[in-house]
Amino acid sequence: MREYDVIIIGGGSAGLSAAIEIYKEGFTNILLIERDIELGGILLQCIHNGFGLKVFKEELTGPEYAEKFVDELMDLGIEYKLDSVVTKINSDNSIEYVNTKDGFANVKAKALVLTMGCYERNAGAISIPGTRPAGVLTAGQAQKYLNIDGYLVGKKVFILGSGDIGLIMARRMTLEGAEVLGVAEILPYSGGLNRNIVQCLKDFDIPLYLNHTVTDIIGDVNLEKIILSKVENFKPIPGTEVEFEVDTLLLSIGLIPENEISENAGIILDRKTKGPIVDESYQTTKAGVFACGNALHVHDLVDFVTEESRRAGRSVGRYLKNELKSSNDNIQLLPSDGISYIVPQNINLNNIENKLELFMRVTAEYKNVTLVVYSEETEIKRIKKRHMAPAEMEKVILTKDDLSKVNKTLSIKVVA
Amino acid sequence: MLGDGKMYDVIIIGTGISGATISRELARYNLKVLILEKEFDVATETTMANSAIVHSGHDPLPGTLKAKFNVLGNRMYKRMSDELDIPYLPCGGMVVATSKEEEIVLDELLQRALTNGLTKDEAYLISREEISKKEPNISEFVTKALYLPTTAVTFPWEVAIANIENAMDNGAELKLETEVTDINKDEYFSVSTNQGTFESKVVINATGIHGEKVSKLFYKPEYKITPRRGEYFVLDKNCFEINNVIYPCPSDKGKGVVITPQYHGNILIGPTSEFVATNQVGKTTISGLDYVKKYAIKSVKNIPFHKVIRSFAGGRASSNTHDFVIQDVNKTGFINVTGIESPGLSAAPAIAKYVVEQLVSNHLGLINKPSYKSSRRKVIRTNEMTNDEINELVKENPLYGKLICRCERITEGEVIDSIHRNCGARSVTGVKNRTRAGAGRCQGGFCQPEIIRILARELKIDQMKVNYSKTGSYILKSRTKGE
Repeated sequence: MREYDVIIIGGGSAGLSAAIEIYKEGFTNILLIERDIELGGILLQCIHNGFGLKVFKEELTGPEYAEKFVDELMDLGIEYKLDSVVTKINSDNSIEYVNTKDGFANVKAKALVLTMGCYERNAGAISIPGTRPAGVLTAGQAQKYLNIDGYLVGKKVFILGSGDIGLIMARRMTLEGAEVLGVAEILPYSGGLNRNIVQCLKDFDIPLYLNHTVTDIIGDVNLEKIILSKVENFKPIPGTEVEFEVDTLLLSIGLIPENEISENAGIILDRKTKGPIVDESYQTTKAGVFACGNALHVHDLVDFVTEESRRAGRSVGRYLKNELKSSNDNIQLLPSDGISYIVPQNINLNNIENKLELFMRVTAEYKNVTLVVYSEETEIKRIKKRHMAPAEMEKVILTKDDLSKVNKTLSIKVVA
Repeated sequence: MLGDGKMYDVIIIGTGISGATISRELARYNLKVLILEKEFDVATETTMANSAIVHSGHDPLPGTLKAKFNVLGNRMYKRMSDELDIPYLPCGGMVVATSKEEEIVLDELLQRALTNGLTKDEAYLISREEISKKEPNISEFVTKALYLPTTAVTFPWEVAIANIENAMDNGAELKLETEVTDINKDEYFSVSTNQGTFESKVVINATGIHGEKVSKLFYKPEYKITPRRGEYFVLDKNCFEINNVIYPCPSDKGKGVVITPQYHGNILIGPTSEFVATNQVGKTTISGLDYVKKYAIKSVKNIPFHKVIRSFAGGRASSNTHDFVIQDVNKTGFINVTGIESPGLSAAPAIAKYVVEQLVSNHLGLINKPSYKSSRRKVIRTNEMTNDEINELVKENPLYGKLICRCERITEGEVIDSIHRNCGARSVTGVKNRTRAGAGRCQGGFCQPEIIRILARELKIDQMKVNYSKTGSYILKSRTKGE
């Protein structure tokens, strides 16, 4: 069995960034495995711009952003396999993959990095009422058909869910000549970035229906109509039904980290993020297995994925150099009032070099509040926030000095 | 206009479980058989949306056709599944009681089961303790159960597809998108369709919820069919432990909300039971699915409803006779096989045998076909093979190493095979129903574009002409580049 220092599973933005970082740490015997026929992941179908403002200080399209990393990976001569699907992580951290050339084969590594990205929640998951005609797709599917394959899936479109892909597709399909009649969001606030609400809906006069959902899908062969209803506490309000004649319903109702192989390998997932539980070094509950990018938790911006994957890549380097210390009593991070999750989920203070970056999402929209970081009874830090929303990831940086006050647990809450 | 100028011995209308099993039974003999289906694919209605259970025969009232054919059909299932390479899960079942009143119903059901012909080893009462051993997730309300070890789970549409494929391997013809518009009999039957008129000596009406309507094309039927809708949830595979089919105590509304383990590891929860118009049978509703949730938790606890990957609805053909309608109408050779609601799936192989040997035989001589093969070519299912076995395959055909559906682990080789078999896949749903590509938790999110590409290539059609399911259900509506 061929043995590598590191195998990276998934060649999207996270896998590319992690692989390059690990190489720069001095580990050149690495393998990147990608299931698609080219590297770049979901970025390849995101042909709109707005990527790279943080990492490159310039505005790039998805493919351009990906190309920078793919070029660098090629220049470094990092080994990769395309059109190959990892099917299993074995207990000794070897992995099994399958492709047309090797069939099922195994390769071994000292460390693994999970960068499989995520998949879209779909009509099945939300038990959407009505018939099952053609014309109900996820926004990402429609995006692939349009931007990669060159086909439009419909001319009169309604979008359920205000996730970023749905917002982007509202604009994209409008530009292709389709009529987008509206976007419905069951929550009182958007699931997408504010800049996308402005640039993809407001600029094109596409209405956003907050507190609304689709309560009927009508059509035998093809989608003919949808019924939109106002909701209260997630329940449709009778009498508020409005009918829209459409041939397409796109769903943008959330992304779920892709972790079937992680789960099957016994790696413990966070119930909230649906990604692996990781420590300060992005190491999962299985020693030597690291995770980053959308397989770890869903990010708003690819730039954040890159930054996170670089940090994870550096940690993998430290792991291979035996610089990471293990401990049985890591400090547990506890999301408290108003916080839905925090990544990482636990920390070993001995491995923190100078500062610790924590990433979290809030449970609702907040204005003029304070984030309070505390450990048991001790308050560690207060950060004033003018606006926070679940769609926008929050970051809290703790210094070594802050961390010296930490006892067994570390909590964060929202205070009015 | 004559369809193809040929004289058939038997025309079967409908490709659900009944038409399919009858077609295979007929294909044993030297008979020219034509199967007509109005839809784009076979088995798209009742057979596509039901509980997938091979019932033991405990439930139908003694003396009914339902009772007779259910018990017989159950005993034929394993062999048919082996011959046709159809998934079959001999999981067993139990009817659970949650009160003293329901315990009395269990006693009645046990008597009924024994009267219907089940043996004492095939139906017996078990205690709460024994139930808990078999089912760790049984609800605390359950006090006692009627255990039914011969209950099994099948894969309904594959039963239909495999039977028709095997019938076709043995010479039967299938015409899809062929809707019967009139049926007349002079010396022979002439069956008019949107694709021309076909002639035969016997006509079998196996049209499920459309049974009464098709009967009316030939005579004024004495029975009425009303579609009864059932709504279901499907849970992701391997996320919850259920080992047996778990029935609540039956009521006048049917068998109630049943929790069923599926062959591929999913759990099915449902159905509701509601009389609706024919065009409403495939529609899920908020109230229906809420009903399923509410009643499911009476029998089973801790159901992970957040692991639902799909919900669906289907219609059962409910007859006002409260029994199957199986008859040779006035000995004309127009044979009704209608009103086949539950336990129709379980009864199907027994009904088919009866229809051919007892009814068709009155009109046609049944001479064994020497070339008849009872098996179809084995279906390659890589997710049930060892890696070494798959690697041997990959050497011959690399596409068995090309994973198309990651959720269910289906390869391109399997998808292509499903298209080129007799009664092969022609749509995205057709591929899903034959291979399970797209049936997993991402519901085709990633593999659908691949499936469209493969279908277009293998069927030599434009990608824009690939149907999602029904005729004209195109997914790709127009081109945006490369024109």
